[in-house]
Amino acid sequence: MLPIDLLMASRNLTRHARRNLFLAGALATVTSLLVLLASLTAGIEHAMMESATTLLTGHVNVGGFFKVTSGSAAPLVSEYPRVLAAVRGAVPDVDYIAVRGRGWAKAVSETASMDLIIGGVDVTQEPGFAKVIVPLEGRLADLAQPGTVLLFQGQAERLQVRVGDVLTLSAPTARGVNNTADVRVAVVARNVGLLSAFSAFIQGDSLRQLYGLASSTTGALQLYLRRPEEAKAIAARLRATLSGAGWRVMDPDPQPYWIKLMQKVPSEDWTGQKLDVTTWEDEMGQFRQFIFGVRALTWLLVVVLMAVVIIGILNTLLIAIRERTREIGTLRAIGMQRRKVLWLFVLETLLLGLAGTGAGALLAAGVAGLVNLVGIAIPESMQIFVMQERLRFLLEPGAIAVHVAILTGVTVLASLLPAFRAARLRPVTAMHHIG
Amino acid sequence: MSIVSIRNVSKDYMLGKTVVPALRGVSLEIEKGEFLSLAGPSGSGKTTLLNLVGCVDTPTAGTVVVDGRDTSRLSERALTELRLRTIGFIFQSFNLVQVLSVFQNVEFPLLLQGGLGRRERRDRVLALLDAVGIGSHARHRPSELSGGQRQRVAVARALVTRPALVLADEPTANLDSKTGANLIDLMKEMNRRDGTTFVFSTHDPKVMSHASAIVRIADGQLVGREAVGGDAAAAEGR
Repeated sequence: MLPIDLLMASRNLTRHARRNLFLAGALATVTSLLVLLASLTAGIEHAMMESATTLLTGHVNVGGFFKVTSGSAAPLVSEYPRVLAAVRGAVPDVDYIAVRGRGWAKAVSETASMDLIIGGVDVTQEPGFAKVIVPLEGRLADLAQPGTVLLFQGQAERLQVRVGDVLTLSAPTARGVNNTADVRVAVVARNVGLLSAFSAFIQGDSLRQLYGLASSTTGALQLYLRRPEEAKAIAARLRATLSGAGWRVMDPDPQPYWIKLMQKVPSEDWTGQKLDVTTWEDEMGQFRQFIFGVRALTWLLVVVLMAVVIIGILNTLLIAIRERTREIGTLRAIGMQRRKVLWLFVLETLLLGLAGTGAGALLAAGVAGLVNLVGIAIPESMQIFVMQERLRFLLEPGAIAVHVAILTGVTVLASLLPAFRAARLRPVTAMHHIG
Repeated sequence: MSIVSIRNVSKDYMLGKTVVPALRGVSLEIEKGEFLSLAGPSGSGKTTLLNLVGCVDTPTAGTVVVDGRDTSRLSERALTELRLRTIGFIFQSFNLVQVLSVFQNVEFPLLLQGGLGRRERRDRVLALLDAVGIGSHARHRPSELSGGQRQRVAVARALVTRPALVLADEPTANLDSKTGANLIDLMKEMNRRDGTTFVFSTHDPKVMSHASAIVRIADGQLVGREAVGGDAAAAEGR
């Protein structure tokens, strides 16, 4: 029976080709818009995930704060080798763990100065670092030497320095004094969106020297997982493990460490060491909000456009039912059950929906592929938000299938009301309908 | 033996707040194998009576028993099933499905019934199309056929499930007299050959003359039933 149902549905669609093409076109437009915006968002998110989890955060971080007095705080993990051992025991299948120093300093060149978040890094121990950082000047391996710094292109331009030039870093400490150190620019790297606007890296031991820290002290342990989607579960496991092993562990709080450092922790009444376990999503909260905003706008746009399409579908189906009232009556008279009439109209809309959304998805995939191929440059002012220099759509077949399914599903749902109406037509009324 | 038993049936329609009686206290027995004509002027109640017999409408009062089943006691679903298995319809305006070919239109009730294999369906449909003289047009769409050809397709569709009862509402009204006569001959041939009961409405005396019996209706009431020439032939066929 299905072949004849499909035949009837498809022929009924082609019988009124113009209006159905218009509807399918509208559906294709909405779908392509949704797929393009979702792919753009996915591209941004992917770039964010890739760059942020290298520059600023691991998939999971074991950081913490050390307070000498209740009113001050430093982003430190003391006796980190013991913490590292406990973490390795709790997460044996971690890809790798980076030991990162955390600091904040004013960088002063001969002609300019700027505030930077300073990461203390051991490039020999971080395989992911080289995947994201693209040196424009110098070699990444040179950052392994003491007293060296990596700047991003924008920072180097602002400070008017090049590889080999010397900067002075002036870092405020928890005790209220500023420590200074001279560092040589070893690498100037290509910008990586917003993060590269305020982040710079120096060799790990040099950061300790700047702050006068012991060699067993660091800023955070950044865990890179083989399955990043497990970050939340692993963070929870680590909290329990570390707490059970005697460390004081802060309650989960989805905020980046520097907001906690500036606002929350100094106002808390405790001293000594507390560990803080966070995920990359916690550390990137504000960027996640941006992604959420883009997604919300995308769906709002889609909902509005779909409302228009749904009205079109309702209208078209009501017209179709009116036109085919006599046919429906005939089919009912010769023995077609109500549910079958319902099915025929739903099937017709399903075909229309699949054709429209399928075409839209293909169109979007084509446009996205072309844009990716051409590599359209993003204006600098926008690079901050999209964390990319060139527009890149990330086409995920699974996500596209879900979008197609959702929009087709909505289309089919919209057809149910008129389809029920058709199914409830009394055969005698329908048979004698004049129209 | 009756295939249709109508007892004291009334049917009222509402026209705004006004009750318009279409049938009033009609009783009628239709025997198996009859070739019965319902005759009467427009608005007399012929179509209403056919609708009630065809289970596409329900009476306001009285009972309609089709093939031993009281239609007032059947659910919508059971009524549809009864129509599918027991009754064939031939409509005045042919009412073919425009998007299907001649073959598919005739095959459709078999698909709704289920149970027959593809080859069996094909053989039955083609045999029937040949029998009604339209076998060479199996692949055509209804829009490519003349009125007479379309009505032949409608007859084939009505007969394809081998129903016990075929109802035809003014089947020749949209046909010229020669084509109309051919159609009635065709129906009569099916009646003779298979013993299928035919009930058709008409107000054309020439068409009526082919019937085995004529039931006359006026103002919603039966005003007479008379046997005509065809009765003997119909009786022979039984």
